[in-house]
Amino acid sequence: MRVSAAATLTRLLLLGIAPVITSPLSRAGEPAEAIAVESASATFSTGTNVPAVSVKGKSSAVQLRARMRRGGQGTIFESIEATLPVKTLATGMNVRDEHMRKYVFTSPDGRQPDLRFESSQVACPGLEPGREAACTVSGTLAIRGVPRSFSMVLKIKEDSGGTFRAAGDGAVKLSDYGIEQPSQFGVKTANEVRLHLDFVARRHLAASAAEGGRP
Amino acid sequence: MTRRRFRASATLLPALLAAAPLSALPTMVRLGYPNCASCHIAPQGGGLLNAYGKGIDEAQSLRAGEYRPSGNPLVKALGWGGRITQDFRSVTLEQLSGGAGQPVLGLTRGRIMYRNATELGKGFRLSTVISAENKSAPRPALRYDLPVRPRAAYVGSALVSYRRGSHLEFSAGRDPLPNGINIPDQGLFVRSRNRMGYYDNPTQLKMFWWGKRYHINPYAFGPSGTEQRGQAESGGGGLAEFDLLGKGTTVVGMNLLHGRARFGRRTLIAPYVRLGFGKWGILAEHDITTRSAIQPAASRFRQSASLAQLFWAPREWLVAYFTGERLGVERPYREDLAAGKFELVARLASQVTVAIGARVQRNRLTGRYSQSVALQLAMKTVN
Repeated sequence: MRVSAAATLTRLLLLGIAPVITSPLSRAGEPAEAIAVESASATFSTGTNVPAVSVKGKSSAVQLRARMRRGGQGTIFESIEATLPVKTLATGMNVRDEHMRKYVFTSPDGRQPDLRFESSQVACPGLEPGREAACTVSGTLAIRGVPRSFSMVLKIKEDSGGTFRAAGDGAVKLSDYGIEQPSQFGVKTANEVRLHLDFVARRHLAASAAEGGRP
Repeated sequence: MTRRRFRASATLLPALLAAAPLSALPTMVRLGYPNCASCHIAPQGGGLLNAYGKGIDEAQSLRAGEYRPSGNPLVKALGWGGRITQDFRSVTLEQLSGGAGQPVLGLTRGRIMYRNATELGKGFRLSTVISAENKSAPRPALRYDLPVRPRAAYVGSALVSYRRGSHLEFSAGRDPLPNGINIPDQGLFVRSRNRMGYYDNPTQLKMFWWGKRYHINPYAFGPSGTEQRGQAESGGGGLAEFDLLGKGTTVVGMNLLHGRARFGRRTLIAPYVRLGFGKWGILAEHDITTRSAIQPAASRFRQSASLAQLFWAPREWLVAYFTGERLGVERPYREDLAAGKFELVARLASQVTVAIGARVQRNRLTGRYSQSVALQLAMKTVN
């Protein structure tokens, strides 16, 4: 049977296009799925005016909620909300923790609201199972209840079982929140505080199905 | 205690459990403090604390309070308007020790110190430590390396220092030599076998240059005048350490020293690490000393002393130490010792620290064991 050049070209095109059509990225309009966080931790570190003194702290009580959907633009995370109770941040020294809560996280009215990050939507164009992608996560981070713009780059990898592993770094300036740099016996912390976030999350398929894709 | 027993204890005890002055805390590496300069007035560590160090000292105690400088007018006057930092410190040790076929020996040793650091202005500082004790704790009397003869009262440190900025300091005077992991226990092999006992305070000229990730400390030294005949040593060395990951918790370093006395020479190569992991950490040092002895007989031999210490702080004020040691000396002064020590240190307040410890040592050449248990109380004035 003779096959015309046009037919061959058509077949090649179809073979080439087929994976694109069936790839997750092209399934626009997929229902959103909830993301359930399995573990998450946030660390911070900041320098001081004394060369060998820095302050580091950690909390493993980060709570994160988000939804995700695959779309034409890749993976899209929606309605991201992350909170961190300030009382769970620990530097390894109780007295220093008390100072931190008092001087950094206590609002003028005496409350210590949780740290809160919110973002309506984040697009991760290159994120697909088995491949790591860097996503810029932008939103607002509230400290002392004062929201300010905040963004960080998260490296996210999704395995074939629907588990996401993400880690990223960002920085905030205390002055942006009207917070004075804490000082103790001549040791004064820097204005910039570096943040690091780590989490493992899983697509919450059952919940999504039960709730019609809306967590 | 009979005279015979006391003589026996005088030779045995130094090899067992010396009174750790509990004044330096290299374990702070667990919280990201890579060197001593943050908390101590002297960048070499040990000794008096600066104001920030006093705050940390109080915070790390069972009381966990806030350090507040004394408002007492007399204390203020004695402090010359903040230029003088001073304290009295006492360390009392109650110890029982013995070995197979040996009587159990008891010892109560008390030591009191007056420590002073006076800022003279323009970066100059005078610092002094004067000590007195009821019973001495010299390092072991080795045929090729005799210890300094202890005295009931002595000047442990007398230094003039000049600090330029916040990264550089020069010091001249008498002081203990710089050493690697800076564990305060002078009874450890890495210290007692390398002329770093309690009374080894040679005359020195040294420089400290430190930053966020490094600490460099070259030094030259000469006799203190208290050494035994033929043991007065002169030489030089350098200590350098680096924080590998930049988080203040992974410090690796090396101390090099060469000394020459009339009766012998020694070259020390001492790599060490200080690692911190939050509530616990590891301190380790391996010292290789090549010695050339002229007296009592011409010989050249190598000595190696190793230490590994695992520490764990279940509470900020409570730290448990598990220490393993090894000492090997080649012929003609052959020795092969292994030791293990457990110590629990409780900092009840910045003024009071209590420690209890037990140590077992095995002579691998003779198979003999010797043991000791000790209770130590350290107190100091804080103002």
